[in-house]
Amino acid sequence: MDEPGGYAGPASKSAVVSDDSRAFDVVVVGAGPAGSASALEVARAGYTVALVERGPYPGAKNVYGGVVYGRILDELVPGWWERMPVQRWVTRRATMIMTPTQALTVDMRAQDWGRPPYNGATAYRADLDAWLADQAVAAGAVLIPATVATGLLRGPDGSVAGVRTDRPDGDLTASVVIACDGVNSFLAKEAGMYPAENVAEHTTLGVKETIALPREVIDERFGLSGRDGADIEMIGCTRGIPGGGFLYTNLESVSLGVVVGLTGLAAAKVRPEELIADLKEHPAIAPLVRGGTLQEYSAHLIPEGGYRSMPELVGDGMLVAGDAAAMCLAAGIWLEGVNFALGAGMYAGRAAAAALRSGDTSKSGLAAYRTMLEDSFVLADHRKLRKVPDLVLSQRVQADYPGLLCDLVQGLFTVENPAPKPGLRRLLRLGTRAHGVRRRDLVRDALVGLRSFG
Amino acid sequence: MLVVAAQRWIDPHPRVDAMTGRVDTDARAGGASEADQCALEHALRLAERFGGRCVAVTAGPVAAEEMLRQALAAGADEVLRVDAPPGGDPVLEDGAETARVLAAGLTARYGHVDLVLCGDRSADRGTGSTPAYLAARLGAAQALGLLDVGRDGDGLRALRRLDGGRRESLAVPLPAVCSVEPTAVRLRRASLPATLAARRSEIPHVAVDAAPRGAVAVKAVRTYRPRARVLPAPSGDDARRRTLELTGALVERAPSRVVTPSSPEQAAGELLGFLRAHGYLPEERDD
Ligand SMILES: Cc1cc2nc3c(=O)[nH]c(=O)nc-3n(C[C@H](O)[C@H](O)[C@H](O)COP(=O)(O)OP(=O)(O)OC[C@H]3O[C@@H](n4cnc5c(N)ncnc54)[C@H](O)[C@@H]3O)c2cc1C
Repeated sequence: MDEPGGYAGPASKSAVVSDDSRAFDVVVVGAGPAGSASALEVARAGYTVALVERGPYPGAKNVYGGVVYGRILDELVPGWWERMPVQRWVTRRATMIMTPTQALTVDMRAQDWGRPPYNGATAYRADLDAWLADQAVAAGAVLIPATVATGLLRGPDGSVAGVRTDRPDGDLTASVVIACDGVNSFLAKEAGMYPAENVAEHTTLGVKETIALPREVIDERFGLSGRDGADIEMIGCTRGIPGGGFLYTNLESVSLGVVVGLTGLAAAKVRPEELIADLKEHPAIAPLVRGGTLQEYSAHLIPEGGYRSMPELVGDGMLVAGDAAAMCLAAGIWLEGVNFALGAGMYAGRAAAAALRSGDTSKSGLAAYRTMLEDSFVLADHRKLRKVPDLVLSQRVQADYPGLLCDLVQGLFTVENPAPKPGLRRLLRLGTRAHGVRRRDLVRDALVGLRSFG
Repeated sequence: MLVVAAQRWIDPHPRVDAMTGRVDTDARAGGASEADQCALEHALRLAERFGGRCVAVTAGPVAAEEMLRQALAAGADEVLRVDAPPGGDPVLEDGAETARVLAAGLTARYGHVDLVLCGDRSADRGTGSTPAYLAARLGAAQALGLLDVGRDGDGLRALRRLDGGRRESLAVPLPAVCSVEPTAVRLRRASLPATLAARRSEIPHVAVDAAPRGAVAVKAVRTYRPRARVLPAPSGDDARRRTLELTGALVERAPSRVVTPSSPEQAAGELLGFLRAHGYLPEERDD
């Protein structure tokens, strides 16, 4: 069997190319949402672009819970809602605060979200990624599947000049490389763009089960009809391990999963599938998933550090977008990564095209990328919510507050005749004492929350 | 010299529902089975040995072009997609019809074919009959289920597995149709330049006429589901007895035997003996 010429593994130093000719204007690594959006924009601007994907087809290897917010697609694929492969439109969004025997839910239903221009939709990644990549290919991008980028190529001046792949004769030269290779991007690491920090602290593990149920059963249990769908985010359901849970409805299956901090998970010595098993037995969840057949179990890492754990986004001849740049917004009631990846990819593609137009693909030539991100939701939201990951993953939000809130509301609705109804203030005092919550922390957390979300 | 690798377009990793036997496939994951990939590798090597050209062919829909691109990238000189006659299944279920369509497509495009390599059996249908039908259609010699095949002068030398760990070596004249087991070789990894070139290639295709009337056709393939059998309620008076009765546990049985007869006569003798011992055949009479 032919071995790829001079394999350059993740840790090996970048190979140097001397020749000035470039096979493509841009090479995009990874055909996830970020990569396909980049390739689409570059191809539309009239430049040649290769989209390198390690899976046999886009979406083959990608995992996610299932809700994608398509607003950014208005700009990228006008009229997307008529063509995107959607399972259901999310018209019901609930946040559930849980203890092992209690659940307090804020449940929002908006029929506006079920008609154009829509809000969120559940979709399968294999469908979604393949569709997005098709848009890029139709615009002229060259998709290279079943091919792994194993390292960077550099020009004599040290600027990035392409990628090496695991195929024989596998060097792919380009003026700009856009790294969209997902969480733990070794391309960004090889380029020296990640600060040398403990990555595990900023990474969470997402595990999910896809559970098949007949469409009518899902409609009935979740109170849905037609293409309407539900999205439930949960907090306080992970045995105190920092994280949260989710339950999304597809057409004929539901996705049930948890997202937990790596360090917390390791310290608790719990297997992630036990947490899903817990959820399936929880009195608030069990009736929703009962009788379903397990279709798939999958696990994937999520960059959850937010703004403060992002790498440098621009280098000489290189841009980083999506999960590769830790752009997943995983802040409590939000778990949004696909829309951020789409947005960042789109801007990266535009910045690369602008740099090619001006003939300067150095760091300064590509600097517009960062400006575009800052002027848009991509970095604005991340900056605004930068303190949220720490807050959401704190012991108080994970365990103390859910217990406190559930007890408070339970107390409010428990009828203790002949004793008179307790006042809210008394319940709060009892609750804070029972759950060891200090007023000081409560006020401080409320302020962080207000500043971030307000 | 034209060496053809015939590949069937399937989902190599379908999902099977254990309860109903329903098979779910995904067209995006479609490609060649292991055996068909080995067939291509053998075809590439033989084309090199004979100084000929290698063509990869499939009878399948447009979606199967992805598989042919992979064959081009791996080194096939040409590819050909044969459209199944309209109205039927785009990927034919029937070995005889697949062979007819392939032979018609190949003959229409190339006139004469010297050698066709196939996988020993398709991963989905699994009868292994296509290559045999194809040999008949092309008027070629056939050697099926081979472990290995190489050039020997103007013809081929092939190796086939026999019972008892033995091998038979075959001399195969050309033209021939050979099918290979998914062993011995692996399809080479395509280089990046060849992969890129294949992405941009036009995939030629030919259409063939519908089957002449009167031929036997496979209409549908279903999983075998035996009819439910009604059993009398177990009569034991405690739960343990009833369970034993239902499961047949702890009942003495003759353990099954694995036999490896060394000659056809002996094999026939074993079978006849078994049938007699179980009352399916009358006892042997001494006359
Ligand atoms: C359990 C879970 C649930 C989630 N739920 C949601 C949700 O409900 N909504 C939401 O918006 N987001 C959700 N996310 C986050 C979302 O999945 C990601 O933020 C998003 O997929 C990021 O897109 P991306 O294009 O940056 O990276 P990815 O989708 O990870 O794509 C990276 C691509 O690069 C390829 N690749 C990687 N390395 C190489 C290489 N060396 N060479 C070639 N190709 C390579 C991979 O195969 C992959 O196709 C969830 C994540 C998880 C794990």
